[in-house]
Amino acid sequence: MSVRTGHVVVTGRGMLTPLGATARASTDAWQKGGRATRHTLSELSGTSISDAEVASLPEFNASARIGNRRMLKFMSDASVLGCIAAKEASAEAMISKRFRPERIGLYAGAGLAAANVDEVREMIQASIDEDGEFSCRLLGESGLRVASPLLSFKILPNIPACLISILECIRGPSLLFTPWEGQTAAALLEAWQAVDDGEVDCALAGASDNATHPATYIHLKQARLLQDGEIPAPGAAYLVFEREETAVRDGQHIYARIRRMELSQTDLGAFDPLAERMGRSFAAAPAILMALACETQEKEIMIRGVDRQEFRAVLEEPE
Amino acid sequence: MNRVAITGYGVVSPIGTGCRPFWHSLRTGQSGIKGISRFDCATFNVQLAAQVNDELSLPATVADIAAEDPKVGFAYAAAREALAQAKLDQLPTDTLLHLGVSLETFDLHKVIHKGRVDFAAVAQRSLTGQRVRFQVPLDTAPTLIGESFGRPARTLTNCSACAAGAQAIGHGFRNVRAGRFGSAVCGGFDSLVNPLGIGGFELLGALTTDNDRGGGACRPFDASRNGTVLGEGAAVMVLEPMARAVAQHKHVLAEICGYGSSLDAHSLSAPDPTGNGATRAMRAALDDAGITPQQISHINTHGTGTHLNDQIEAMAIREVFGNGLWEEIPVSATKSITGHLIAAAGAVEVGACLLVLNEGVIPHNPSLNRIGRGCELAHVTGRNTTFEGEYVMTNSFGFGGQNCSLVLRKYDR
Repeated sequence: MSVRTGHVVVTGRGMLTPLGATARASTDAWQKGGRATRHTLSELSGTSISDAEVASLPEFNASARIGNRRMLKFMSDASVLGCIAAKEASAEAMISKRFRPERIGLYAGAGLAAANVDEVREMIQASIDEDGEFSCRLLGESGLRVASPLLSFKILPNIPACLISILECIRGPSLLFTPWEGQTAAALLEAWQAVDDGEVDCALAGASDNATHPATYIHLKQARLLQDGEIPAPGAAYLVFEREETAVRDGQHIYARIRRMELSQTDLGAFDPLAERMGRSFAAAPAILMALACETQEKEIMIRGVDRQEFRAVLEEPE
Repeated sequence: MNRVAITGYGVVSPIGTGCRPFWHSLRTGQSGIKGISRFDCATFNVQLAAQVNDELSLPATVADIAAEDPKVGFAYAAAREALAQAKLDQLPTDTLLHLGVSLETFDLHKVIHKGRVDFAAVAQRSLTGQRVRFQVPLDTAPTLIGESFGRPARTLTNCSACAAGAQAIGHGFRNVRAGRFGSAVCGGFDSLVNPLGIGGFELLGALTTDNDRGGGACRPFDASRNGTVLGEGAAVMVLEPMARAVAQHKHVLAEICGYGSSLDAHSLSAPDPTGNGATRAMRAALDDAGITPQQISHINTHGTGTHLNDQIEAMAIREVFGNGLWEEIPVSATKSITGHLIAAAGAVEVGACLLVLNEGVIPHNPSLNRIGRGCELAHVTGRNTTFEGEYVMTNSFGFGGQNCSLVLRKYDR
């Protein structure tokens, strides 16, 4: 199942990865052979996997990068990563200045949902009865009273994309998929098709994932989704797709022309070319891989997700 | 471009499992909203939900997961019914399988060990034999359906909240129309009827606390409305090229012919007060179908029973169907009896449109007594209101500002 065209190009990239807090920093570190720094998860200390490591993110100032301190309180970690990457891509391609909001589409992937343990700890603790068991009665009586009213915003998987639409003023069509690599690949493919078909003039496409959440880590171990030596990683990447003629007309820098994208089912095991050096960011990985490929010699990319979908994209140099 | 037929529809809902029982309840206005029985909610402000009460016959592998996450069972049962109705033993290999869902189920008791929140101890327990399933990923149901009924060409899990099911159908429709896939099996499934689901939405103030109103508590467009009621369920449909469906003598339930999607870009919790996002979704669906507003003869509203949503949707409908046209188009609000099925809502409500198109009956809103200010539309409040026309529209407007409208057409045999 593939679509061929020579007229859709990438004009904006945003990234926040274990290798760098921006697209430029991530790309430079990748090209220089950089590797993610690692840390252990404090929530797993005292367990048999207390030495298990996850990839770390570089320092970044979320408030400054997002430019909207008030919105931060609604944001999960994945939302913060996604909003930062989307803002970088959107600003680089100047989409809000060049396109009508109604003609910009948003196509995104999201990882496994996870509430921050510290954010629900007090609520659950207040819901434990005298026998040490969870009590619905106490949840209603006291647990909900100490819970954040914004809790739902932190765990619903559509919220990162909705926040991006608000912050970047995107009012066109949208598609949001979850939770693995193949779903983000589908979002990239849909974005490309939407621009190619003329359904939108511009598409912001990508994903964010925080696979280092301790509950997610346990799930990944239980389901054997991490191969030997692999570590989970947080990350996000967004790309701006538009038609080549609009980019040329507006004098926009073109990173790459998209020659082909394919997404197909596979029986082969998962394969993530970023995993060894960056860790596995699952839903975010296809977008990070594509954003990196825009500026490296790797013009043909392939990733196989744990959802048994294989994504291939061929990029070419703009003329 | 293919015309696209709906050849199979399966539903698990609070007002009936299976297309016929579901339609019967819609006809009679039998509400599925009752006191929550799935957990002890005596101390919650919200004590009502629209639960699925029917026993589902599920294979052991599905039943095992559904015991923890009921929506997985709902999706499976709805898909099985849809495929059977479309006379498909298996998913054709050129099928797009696309289902919408909102949120994973979190069992709060799982992180408690010896009377305290102790994530490390629970993690250790789960890693050493006493298996605790920490997460049931949202793609579990589509994956199980693929494993049970044959592997599709592509499997997608849409997480666009209340618009997810309708978006999945719209996306499936577009792909079958364009010939990218030979068929689409699409819809939505959901259940937030659990302590954290009900509790989380209670915290947001989105749910009615009028517990003593029972089955009539969800009151879309009524002056006294003060929140929605969460429901649960699933609906799945089979979309095929019309020419093939007719050639194979399949029973065509309706033609799907328009899809529009938009983002509000306004607020996470409130709709755009101008109604612009909703207006654009409806207009895009009409354009996509190649018809004018005058050709729509019924609208199934999103109609949640929350104050702002209903007012803004009514305003948007009056804008799209202007010059008094809106006064002549009968509208329904089926959440009045099904509750709000979140990601499943859009797909379940396509089933309500199929009742309209196949049996000529428009579901009524039994809890509408006095139309709220700004909610003026041609509301259907009486039983046995007949439908005359060709096209219907259904709206799904999601939490977070994702809007989706679909246009369906009566199939003239």
